[in-house]
This record gives sequence, structure tokens and C-alpha cells, in this order.
Amino acid sequence: MTGPSQLERRYRRVLACYPKAFRRESEDEIVAVLLATAHEGQRRAGLAESSDLVMGALRAHFGLSRAPRPVCNAVRLMCAGAVLELAVLVTVLVTLGTVRSVIIQYFTAAQWHTALLTQIVPVAATAPILAGLWLWLAWANGQGYDWARLASMSFFGLLTLELLIGLGGGAAVYAPADLIALTVPWLFGAAALALIFSKTASPYYQQQPVPTAGTCPS
Amino acid sequence: MQEATFLILTALAAGAQHGYGIIAEVQQISGDRVRLRAGTLYTALDRLRADGLIGVDREEVVEGRLRRYYRLTPDGTGRLAAEAARLQANAAAALTRLKPLGVVT
Repeated sequence: MTGPSQLERRYRRVLACYPKAFRRESEDEIVAVLLATAHEGQRRAGLAESSDLVMGALRAHFGLSRAPRPVCNAVRLMCAGAVLELAVLVTVLVTLGTVRSVIIQYFTAAQWHTALLTQIVPVAATAPILAGLWLWLAWANGQGYDWARLASMSFFGLLTLELLIGLGGGAAVYAPADLIALTVPWLFGAAALALIFSKTASPYYQQQPVPTAGTCPS
Repeated sequence: MQEATFLILTALAAGAQHGYGIIAEVQQISGDRVRLRAGTLYTALDRLRADGLIGVDREEVVEGRLRRYYRLTPDGTGRLAAEAARLQANAAAALTRLKPLGVVT
């Protein structure tokens, strides 16, 4: 099959990355617009067009097109928290060789293995988990699930515990970078909590599910 | 208010429009400078509906395809008027200060 129907199928494939509720409500309408704006003889979605749709889908998944401003800002902070955790992971992996050569220079190979198992591996292992938790909370808050606020509070408790353990271990004295890696996510978490528990945000968590289409009253 | 949002509200100020109609209006209002893509348009429409600035006017099926018309709500009209007045005041202030420099007439 050629022409619009082939193009339509391809558009619908890209639109599949939108949330189900959004698709149920707007997919046919968006397809109609996409087909109306397509060039003569166009057979596939362009790169810019597809990127625009994927960005739109991400915004819809994280509730950025519907949630009140404080919730949107909290979601952005949570996504930034995830990026930060991944940055920590990348830093640990990239500097592993340098850290190893420095430790080997002053300590024994056995001590390096101990440091690897007790210090580096736990950080590298927990960073992707924490990044995943940040993203999951960003999604749940963006969708306005009431339990998301409770989960965010528990997660913040975990971050606080992590920060206190870091401080207790003397991170402020011997590892300022470690302290920054613990403090910045904690600050992000604190700010996000303040936003999701703000007066403007609260009604959003009590008015789900997502509004459906319907003609507005005159 | 972002420029795309302002232009969408301006497009709807003349009357109810469907998605493609809004894209064409925005392109015309902006002198061909702003061409909204479908993803951007529907994210903006979703946001404007959530904020109560626009609503669905009616739905039609044309050649087997859904066509949903959007229109400004009273809140949307108010916000657009306020934003237009703000932009006009800023532009007037800029033009007043540029006049002595001879770069505007």
C-alpha cells in the first residue's frame, strides 16, 4: 500500500509512544493534522517531526502538559536528580582507572580490592537504581497519583539517611566531591517535596483521572 | 507567556479553529516565522485546556477523520488581552526610547 495510508501507519507508530489516555483522546486528531501538513508524496515521518512527537510524548508521560506549575517544576527537579545520579555513575566509571593507580601507589592490591568492594561498587550499583527511582517518582507525580507524594517523602527520607551516613563517615572533610554528590540531590528532593505539597499542587493529586474531551460550556 | 502560546490564543481570538486551522493561522499571524509542529501544538493545547484558557467548541468528522474545534474561554480571552496589553506597553516603551536614536520613525 502506498500514499497516505502508509504514511498514516508510520505516524501512528510514532504516536504509540504517547500515553494510552492521551492517544485515546487525541491520536486521530493529531494524525489528521500530520497528514494535512505532510508534503506531497511524503512517505515517512521526518526526523524533526518525529523528534517533536517524541518530546511531546515525554512531556505527556511526565504530566508536563497538564499538571499545575509547581508539580511541573517538581517533575523537572526529579528528572534533574536522575541525570545527577547518572553523572555520578559516569564519573565513577571514567575515573576508576585513575583512582586505582593512585590507591595502588600507596596501598596494597588487597586494600584496593577492599576499597573497590566497599566504596566504589556500592556507589556504581546504587546510582542507576536511584536514577530509576527519581524518574519513577517524576512520572508518578506528573500523573498526579496521590501515593506519589508519600513515595516521594519516603525517597527523601532515604536521601537524608544517605547524606547523614556520608557526613558521619567524614565526607565533608576528606571527600568534598562526595559531599556535593550527596547534598545536591538532597536539595533537589527537598525543593521537589516543598513544591508537591504546596497549596497549588495539592488539588491535582485529588482530581484524577486525566480529563477527557468534551465540548466546553458556553 | 511563551510566544507559541500567545499566537495560539491569538489564532483562536477570531473564532473556533481545528488543529490544522490553528497551525495555518499562527503561520499567517507570525508572518511565516512560526510553524507549529503537531507535537508542539497538541502539548500546548493540552496545557491550555488544563489551565482553562481554551475549551473544545465542537467535533466534526470530515472525510472519516475527527476534527475537533477549540475556542477561547472567558479566562483565555482575559489572559490574552492582558498579555497583549503588556506586550504593547513594552513595545511602546522601547519605541519611545529608540526614537531619539533615529532608528525608528
